[in-house]
Amino acid sequence: MKKKRIVTLAVTLCLCLAVLWFLQLLLMPKYMDVSRDGALTGEYYDNAGNNDVIFVGDCEVYENFSPITLWEEYGITSYIRGGPQQLIWQSYYLMEETFRYETPKVMVFNVLSMKYDTNAATGSSTQREAYNRMNLDGMRWSSSKWNSILASMTEEEAQWQSMFTYLFPILRYHDRWSQLTQDDFTYLFQKDQISDNGYLMQVGVKPVTDEHVERPLVDYSFGQTSWDYLDKMVALCQQYGTELVLIKAPTLSPVWWDEWDQQIEEYAQAHGLLYINFLDYQEEIGIDWNTDTYDTGLHLNVYGAEKLSRYFGEILAEQCGVPDRRGESQIAADWSEKVKTYQERKQTLESANTQS
Amino acid sequence: MKKIIALLLALCLVFALAACGADENKGTAPSTNAPVSTNGQQDPSQPTAGEASDGFSFTYNGATIAINAPAAPILEALGEPKSYTEEASCAFDGLDKTYYFGSFYMNTYPGEDQDYVFGFWFADDSVSTQEGIYIGATQAEVEEAYGADSYNGSNAYIVTKGETKLTVILTDGLVSSIQYDMILN
Repeated sequence: MKKKRIVTLAVTLCLCLAVLWFLQLLLMPKYMDVSRDGALTGEYYDNAGNNDVIFVGDCEVYENFSPITLWEEYGITSYIRGGPQQLIWQSYYLMEETFRYETPKVMVFNVLSMKYDTNAATGSSTQREAYNRMNLDGMRWSSSKWNSILASMTEEEAQWQSMFTYLFPILRYHDRWSQLTQDDFTYLFQKDQISDNGYLMQVGVKPVTDEHVERPLVDYSFGQTSWDYLDKMVALCQQYGTELVLIKAPTLSPVWWDEWDQQIEEYAQAHGLLYINFLDYQEEIGIDWNTDTYDTGLHLNVYGAEKLSRYFGEILAEQCGVPDRRGESQIAADWSEKVKTYQERKQTLESANTQS
Repeated sequence: MKKIIALLLALCLVFALAACGADENKGTAPSTNAPVSTNGQQDPSQPTAGEASDGFSFTYNGATIAINAPAAPILEALGEPKSYTEEASCAFDGLDKTYYFGSFYMNTYPGEDQDYVFGFWFADDSVSTQEGIYIGATQAEVEEAYGADSYNGSNAYIVTKGETKLTVILTDGLVSSIQYDMILN
């Protein structure tokens, strides 16, 4: 009798956990229609391994570089581990996590996020929390995720209850039950792949009409927290024998001040790093701001991203020695599928764009 | 036993659906299903959108520009801007807009129903603050207008009024930039 009770209790507990797990899956945002960028972090794991180049950073990487073009033109295997307003500490912990899955030859970091030295500098707490969720919820559990959460939590979040909401997202999203849409059921167990190796394709065209202007700053110095994480990136890459390349994407807004550029130049020189500010090479890249941006110069569209990737691919191949792997049959077969998906996506989006 | 099972299942649902976990009174829990518009100025810690604060304002061609005031009537009074740019954040809906009127720039943020003034800054010396400070004014003039207490010790005078902030930046002892902003907590 006692044994039966224990079994019944165990079954009930399992049932409860299953219900909670199901509710958590149902209530968590799917990021398939709205704020699709939130799905990027989680897509990496199915594509981990055999990437010679890994990008980390914010939308300046995942909207401006096309891994498929790097493959088609140079046989370079790459993945973009980008996220919306990905902060430098989040980039660092993604780098750290990446080394659990693979050891790329080159790690590329877009330096725009150096300007966000503190959580508070990134905007209001409401938005920061939403961005944190989009960057962190998709990470698999590891010490890297734990530390990234600790580094990312807003002042209001910095308490143990909030860590629990990252551990058990149902605690955070329980009130979404009244906002559930068809997508929440459609993508309950399986999500669509929204990116091409981390690249979020945009095919629209919205030309630059006026110069982006931002007000001058009182102080252009990057904060110490940013420098500390950049130091950690350098040390981490050295530990694994990976070359760290610093880049600034060529997009026009937010403004990349000369004073910031100078600081990165000096840092790169002092640490023997390659730093490429693509803003200085717009002509060589061939960017046409009438056709190559979908939002007046904030991000490139696919046509601009392909141009930029062709330009950067040559640097990766010739200066960084990233190999051409098109001769490796298994890898070539995998990438052939990726190319096919990319071309189909491009065609579909272009058709939709023409019709609208 | 049935009672225990019923209790466990009930707890399960309560745990999942009731208001537990993060303290939502702190305004840190946006709906990630459909994130709020860009730059989060709807944060409860900020002034309510559309309520012009009791802070700095600026009058130009008869139009009074107050921070956090609805942008539409101001834009109508100011007429056609010389240039206009807009900026969306990486993931959120809505646009931050910047209008250039020759002598100054004004930027707005999107509220739920309309745009509101976020700040403005001077572009040349044809306009001046209510205290008479203009681009090119000397540090002594700035100090006389705003007091030594507002000096940051290096290159700027920063004055707050209500929920707004005036920043006067100096380069080589002369005013190089004058900016009015909403204070973000």
